[in-house]
Amino acid sequence: MLEIRNLHVTVEGREILKGIDLAIHPGETHAIMGPNGSGKSTLANVIAGREGYIVTQGEILFEGKNLLDMDPETRACEGLFLAFQYPVEIPGVANLYFLKAAVNAVRKYRGESSVDAMDFWELVNERMALVKMDESMLKRSVNEGFSGGEKKRNEIFQMAVLQPRFAVLDETDSGLDIDALKVVADGVNALRSPERGFLVITHYQRLLDYIVPDQVHVLFNGKIARSGGKELALELEEQGYALYNEEPGRARRAAA
Amino acid sequence: MTAVAPLFSDPYRQRFAELMARRREPDAIAKLRRAAFDRFEKQGLPTRQQEAWRLTDLSALQAIGWQRPGDVPVDTGTLPTLDKTPTHRLVFVNGRFAPGLSRLRDLRGKTLIASLGQALLTHPELIEPHLDRLPGLKNQPFADLNTAFWEDGVLIYLPHGTVVETPIHLIFHTTGDSVAVHPRLLLVMEAQTQATVVVEYGGQGRYLHGPLAELAVGEGAVLDYHQLQEEAPGAFHLGGIRLRQKRASQANLHLIALGGQLARVDLDALLDGEGARCQINGLTLARNQQFSDVHVRVEHAQPHGTSEQVFKSVLDDKARTVFDGMIHVRQHAQKTDARQTNRNLLLSRQAQAQANPRLEILADDVKCGHGSSTGFLDPDAEFYLRARGIPVAQARALLVHAFANDSLNRIHLTPLRERLARLLAGRLALDFLEEEKP
Ligand SMILES: Nc1ncnc2c1ncn2[C@@H]1O[C@H](COP(=O)(O)OP(=O)(O)O)[C@@H](O)[C@H]1O
Ligand SMILES: [Mg+2]
Repeated sequence: MLEIRNLHVTVEGREILKGIDLAIHPGETHAIMGPNGSGKSTLANVIAGREGYIVTQGEILFEGKNLLDMDPETRACEGLFLAFQYPVEIPGVANLYFLKAAVNAVRKYRGESSVDAMDFWELVNERMALVKMDESMLKRSVNEGFSGGEKKRNEIFQMAVLQPRFAVLDETDSGLDIDALKVVADGVNALRSPERGFLVITHYQRLLDYIVPDQVHVLFNGKIARSGGKELALELEEQGYALYNEEPGRARRAAA
Repeated sequence: MTAVAPLFSDPYRQRFAELMARRREPDAIAKLRRAAFDRFEKQGLPTRQQEAWRLTDLSALQAIGWQRPGDVPVDTGTLPTLDKTPTHRLVFVNGRFAPGLSRLRDLRGKTLIASLGQALLTHPELIEPHLDRLPGLKNQPFADLNTAFWEDGVLIYLPHGTVVETPIHLIFHTTGDSVAVHPRLLLVMEAQTQATVVVEYGGQGRYLHGPLAELAVGEGAVLDYHQLQEEAPGAFHLGGIRLRQKRASQANLHLIALGGQLARVDLDALLDGEGARCQINGLTLARNQQFSDVHVRVEHAQPHGTSEQVFKSVLDDKARTVFDGMIHVRQHAQKTDARQTNRNLLLSRQAQAQANPRLEILADDVKCGHGSSTGFLDPDAEFYLRARGIPVAQARALLVHAFANDSLNRIHLTPLRERLARLLAGRLALDFLEEEKP
């Protein structure tokens, strides 16, 4: 459902992604691991359509359609979701209101009428329980004053309400304690289905104990250095990313 | 009365002479007018060489030979209301009190809400001791112009202990080109009184509104004052507000500026009693070639006073705004807590917001602070909303709304707040906002 072919991306004139190939089929969950600065968030942002990332070569197809031709909102309406590594605080926009605007935008795109207030409330309550989110967070401004864990939970909550066909999770696990991590994993696992795909970006193997991937890719210096099964994550945990670098010393520090 | 010299070359002199010949009023009032006119003549209209007018370009205003509106009947269209909320309502059309459009409800005892022109005939004893007595706006030529030229306006007098629950709604509507109206508002609140006032300015054409409001807030009194400037796109608004607060009084001022090609409000607030509290909430929306200016001076003269100013503006197209805010704390005013915030949101690269926050603190045991920021919409926030499927125009509108709505939320008068929220949504084409009220 998501096919990335020979993707080259530059940011501020610097090439960050240097030829990525990746194919994720419906029902699959892939993990991308890699040291800081290897380009994981760049890949996530390019998929979501953020400005400032220039695709110099290659293409991304989403369900056969050219994703790079679409603006960010169209991608979202087509069923793509990005759980941000750093969710943005938006003072003055209530979480619930924002979510309803998003749900209705997607429905409008599909030619459906606005969501029924009762149905929406039911869905919200059910999904809130799934991520063990407190109701008070609905009335608060989007992410404003949320703790790190609350922000990540809010991302998963939004995903659970919007029910995308394909979701990219960018380090949703970082900064979470083990209980919060399980909540996030439960939220993701509850959505896993034969029609849905996931791309889980993580720095640590830990998350993959809970969200067990079909494939693991190691992103290193803008390239996929290696792909394999879930065992690859364990191997990385033991050996770090040193093997992937011509200068092992530097890589060990980077991976620490 | 001085003899009227024929054919003045100066249109202001001519107008003033005509006014003095026409009016029958107590000598004390005539004296005030003459003194104010003399000051105005000496100073003339401000120029940009004067520090306080450095950023305000009055050349378009200066080029017009302002006249008093004639007596022709005007169609005001639909005048604003506070929804279905009962109000004391006074409407002024082209500067003249319009009893047919007004509605005065019964008031208890000596409380008075009336046309200032009429009250001058019936209750001069309530006006003479108070008119033009508040300090502030000393070198403000438009304040002098008002004192010289006002013909009508409103007197609100609240004797000790009076609570007027019903909002007082004052509407100044002017239609015409090159016509100037100088409405005067005199609010005298004795100790332990309460009032809610809404003043609205609007109209059609290239007119000038030069209002002056004098707000005397007595001991322990509570004033909620709302000023909604919704002038016609070609109009000029040069207004002044003098506020003086006595001990333990509270004044909440809301200054909403939406219209006019050139609009400026000068506010001089004096916290002249221990423990006085003053909140000023300003919101300006400016677009096209609009210029909107606020000059505020909050002076703490007595200890334990608190003041909070929050001024926000949203600028689009080639609009310009100026915020000039001074907090002055006298040496005696220990334990003052004074804060000032100015935030400007630019929606266009050609819009320009200028901020000039100033502090003068002569007391040593005070908490004072000010902050000012000007910026564009947060691109990260915009992307976040779009990444959830919200179209770019709606995402931007939502962010602008969030910025401005914070100011509206400070307004406790529900029908006014809701009307302004609808107006804001309309300006931002946010139809979808109305459906949502969880
Ligand atoms: N918006 C940006 N502006 C400038 N440099 C960026 C931007 N995004 C990413 N980079 C650079 O691209 C490289 C990869 O960053 P990133 O994709 O965030 O890595 P990761 O998520 O794997 O830690 C880094 O060197 C980073 O500095
Ligand atoms: Mg990253």
